[in-house]
Amino acid sequence: MDSLRVRIRSGASRNRFAAIAATTTLVLGLTAACGSSGGSTSGSADSGTIHVLVYGDSGNTVEQQIVDTFNKTSKVKAVLYTIPGADYQSKLNTIINTPQAPDIFFNWGGGSIAPYVKDNLLLPLDSMIAKDPGLKDNFLPSVFNTAVVDGKSYGIPMRGTQPVLLFDNKQVLASAGLSVPQTWNDLLGDVAVLKAKGITPIALGGGDQWPTQMWFEYIYDRVAGPGLFEQALAGDKAAWSSPDSVKALGMVKQLVDAGAFGSNFDSVKFTDGGSPALLAKGRAAFELMGSWEYSTEQSSDPDFAKNGLGWSAFPAIPGGKGDPADIVGNTNNFYSVLKKTQHPDAVAAFLKLMYSDEFVQAQLAIGNLPTTTNTPTFLSTSASPGYSQFQFNLVKAAPSFQLSWDQAYPPAATTTIHTAVQEFFDGKTDTNGFIQAMQSLATS
Amino acid sequence: MSALSSAVELGRRRLKARRVGVGVTRPGFVWAAPATVFFLLFAILPLVLVAVLSFTSWDGITSPHFNGLANWTTLFHDPVMTQSIWLTLLLTVLGVVTQTPISILLGVWAAGPQRNRAVLSAIFFVPLLLSATAVSVLWRALLDPNFGIPGQLPWLFGNGNLLGSQSGSIAVLTFVGMWQFTPLHALLYQGGARAVPQVLYQAAAIDGAGTVRQFFHITLPQLRNTMITSVILMVVGGLTTFDTVLILTQGGPGTDTTVSAYYMYEQGFKNFDFGAGSAIALVLVVVATLISLAVVRLSGYDKMRSTTEGIS
Amino acid sequence: MRRRPNYLAGLGSLIWLFLVGLPLYVLLLSTLRTTSDYSTQGPLSFPSQLTLSNYANAFSNGFGQDFLNTVIVTASVVAIVLLVVPPLAYAIVRARGRTIGLVFRVFLLGLAVPAQAVIVPMFYVISQAGLYDHLIGVILPTAAFSLPVCTLVLTGAMRDITPDLYEAMAIDGASPGRVFLQLVLPLSKAGLSSIVVFSALQAWNGFLFPLILTQSDSTKVITLGLYNFQTEHGVDVPGLLSAVVLSMLPIFVVYLFARRALVQGLMGVGGK
Repeated sequence: MDSLRVRIRSGASRNRFAAIAATTTLVLGLTAACGSSGGSTSGSADSGTIHVLVYGDSGNTVEQQIVDTFNKTSKVKAVLYTIPGADYQSKLNTIINTPQAPDIFFNWGGGSIAPYVKDNLLLPLDSMIAKDPGLKDNFLPSVFNTAVVDGKSYGIPMRGTQPVLLFDNKQVLASAGLSVPQTWNDLLGDVAVLKAKGITPIALGGGDQWPTQMWFEYIYDRVAGPGLFEQALAGDKAAWSSPDSVKALGMVKQLVDAGAFGSNFDSVKFTDGGSPALLAKGRAAFELMGSWEYSTEQSSDPDFAKNGLGWSAFPAIPGGKGDPADIVGNTNNFYSVLKKTQHPDAVAAFLKLMYSDEFVQAQLAIGNLPTTTNTPTFLSTSASPGYSQFQFNLVKAAPSFQLSWDQAYPPAATTTIHTAVQEFFDGKTDTNGFIQAMQSLATS
Repeated sequence: MSALSSAVELGRRRLKARRVGVGVTRPGFVWAAPATVFFLLFAILPLVLVAVLSFTSWDGITSPHFNGLANWTTLFHDPVMTQSIWLTLLLTVLGVVTQTPISILLGVWAAGPQRNRAVLSAIFFVPLLLSATAVSVLWRALLDPNFGIPGQLPWLFGNGNLLGSQSGSIAVLTFVGMWQFTPLHALLYQGGARAVPQVLYQAAAIDGAGTVRQFFHITLPQLRNTMITSVILMVVGGLTTFDTVLILTQGGPGTDTTVSAYYMYEQGFKNFDFGAGSAIALVLVVVATLISLAVVRLSGYDKMRSTTEGIS
Repeated sequence: MRRRPNYLAGLGSLIWLFLVGLPLYVLLLSTLRTTSDYSTQGPLSFPSQLTLSNYANAFSNGFGQDFLNTVIVTASVVAIVLLVVPPLAYAIVRARGRTIGLVFRVFLLGLAVPAQAVIVPMFYVISQAGLYDHLIGVILPTAAFSLPVCTLVLTGAMRDITPDLYEAMAIDGASPGRVFLQLVLPLSKAGLSSIVVFSALQAWNGFLFPLILTQSDSTKVITLGLYNFQTEHGVDVPGLLSAVVLSMLPIFVVYLFARRALVQGLMGVGGK
């Protein structure tokens, strides 16, 4: 009886083992099949495709549309790949010198491509421009120049411009009897009134760190003019310890100490929707943010975007050296080309589409503001004509359009800058600490 | 890691088996070959490479080139690195200190005879089923100062600026770690408590020892081996805390919660200084190995020796 | 005759019930309410109306693909572990010689090596092998890093097989292969289920390897999907938490129907 049971048992086990082995073979086969079909590794050497790598977000519909348009007429086919936002720069860096590298890739110009230029990976576009001057002349110069490194052009603007604006909740301002601040003192006055009413004056996604940096960018520009940062970026580290720099830091401190940002801003983020929600729900009155604030609010609270959201230029600082018309932000995003591309002519044909009417209209339709010279013709077709017109005039009239600090410096500097601005806001670093942190950055 | 106590067991049995000496056909080395080759390729080779890379400068784009001790000298003078080691150790100690008592109590309780135990322990162990990513994402949302629980309970959380200060962030990381890992360790202790011979309790009961005395004089000493396993698990887990930091604090505010594993990620994949990243990684490996060895030695030195004999 | 209820532990367990129960309650409830309801009413209140739309949205955001990828990764990791670990453990238990001792030591060393520490060279090895952004590039390192624990657990289980059973097979003139299939495997079922549970959880919940070694939507696993979702539209907390619930659903189903096996499997990881 017992031995019978043992035999049955071991028989069952053997069958089970056979089953496991069979499943295993099946699964491994399946995996191998999936492994070879997925992904983007087929390299750009195979005949007739160019790979386009783009920052993955809601704007990708336009990029796909342009790729489709291109593929209708071109023999060489374009293929679009995206990498989701937060990790774009780091993933790009890891693949750019491997066989998985794309032919054309999205970037922010400036420091974001400088290391690749230095490593001789990028194709200067000047000879393409010589053949087709439209690749340069059809774009606003202040924008186009962001992707010029050492006198050579490396990028073609491919999305909308993203100046940083001071957004407000119109209803909150109205009920507090306030108007949009024109000067620094207006701003401080508004802060005091709002604070007394128990409203956080300014929403800040301090957890993300880069929103904090925007305050430094504007205050430095208004106090010292754009020259200070340009000098510092060019390697003149003394610029950071100049009297203007110290003065700007003093004003940042003044604003923080006035309670302008409340007390829990470091636990709030823009990226997870925290700070835009504070503004939309009327729990804060202002937010300094890139022009994408509009589409962010529109997707989470369309009604507020349409009726409650106000916007203005950053206030003037009387006595400062900066022009109140100066703006900061991301001038645009750019397509850059890798030197190793097998199809430079197809690439040139593809880049040409970035000033086509179709491109401009498609970008405007999703709320982006292209920086081509033919953009004004189509402004009325924009998702929100008034907002687009305001931005376009601002960008066109700006004597200086300073690229965000973390984009102007090479990517390796980002963490240091972000930590420095956050710790200065927290009071963990003083003026000297901040200056030293900025002076420690490698410039080129 | 976990099965260290069974490794201890192995050594002893191996000795015994050798003495018995049975004359049967034995499997050759070829049986071990697939796993060994696989492991060498995907675990040991990278480990060797990490040591090599720590002496190079590498931006991930061009080929790495040797720069001698440059990464190491920078590292030793880097305040963030020194701080990250202290933070890592602090979080590890806090993890062990908070999780051990709770999981022992829970485990012993779950091993007991109460009737409602099965239903309750089914709920207790749910956090075990969530990935570190899911746990972090969940708590990030729950602890949002404006739209999470703190916004509704200001009497408990004040202005909700939990992640805005170093102490707050460390408290959050410790709490979330406790929430996430206590069930696993409770499970280990439950297994350990069930294995305690009944005779001991019966004897103690005859001697008139109460529940509390039984717990301290029988249960706890008998859980010694489980405790070693559990603490080593916590230590290795604590030293490599990464997912929670990346999602909850991103090393902030400032560098206040930049633990070593996160600093390594930041240096490598954010600042593109893979040489420095590798040096930090090597420090992590050495520290993890040393601490694991120390825990084993301090708590079970004699058994450890027999294991070594068994292996060699 | 056994212990009386332990009141100290009982009290602790009630506190723990609250600490675990409350967040889980909020988690489940939040997935059933609209985003605006969540942000205006707060997470602790009861929703004014219930909706399943968050779950529908999760699937339209590509959760299905992530899910499939995770299943492939998990099944493959478990398969690899089941293929290579039992023979290895068998050899460690039964083979003689210095080499096998050395092999065992190498695996012991592996216990103390955190996956984080080798991620930089792992990236290098995987991209040189052309496996970057392929699921197989995630599967191989994940499986490799499950090996040390699995090996120790299974070796422990195989040690329990008494020498006289081997002798009995030897009298029949059984080859090592037959001994393995007919004696060792059937008698180490508990150990086998432990390593399946452990490696499956490792693979299902793995984050770092997919984060570094993949980039496309077509190779995204659930944990990475959660991370991306949080960085892209974290404002949609109900949507995010729905994804969290969905990510644990398969394991929860296993937990409901095979709680004993799962729990005992995990206990087995801790040794006896």
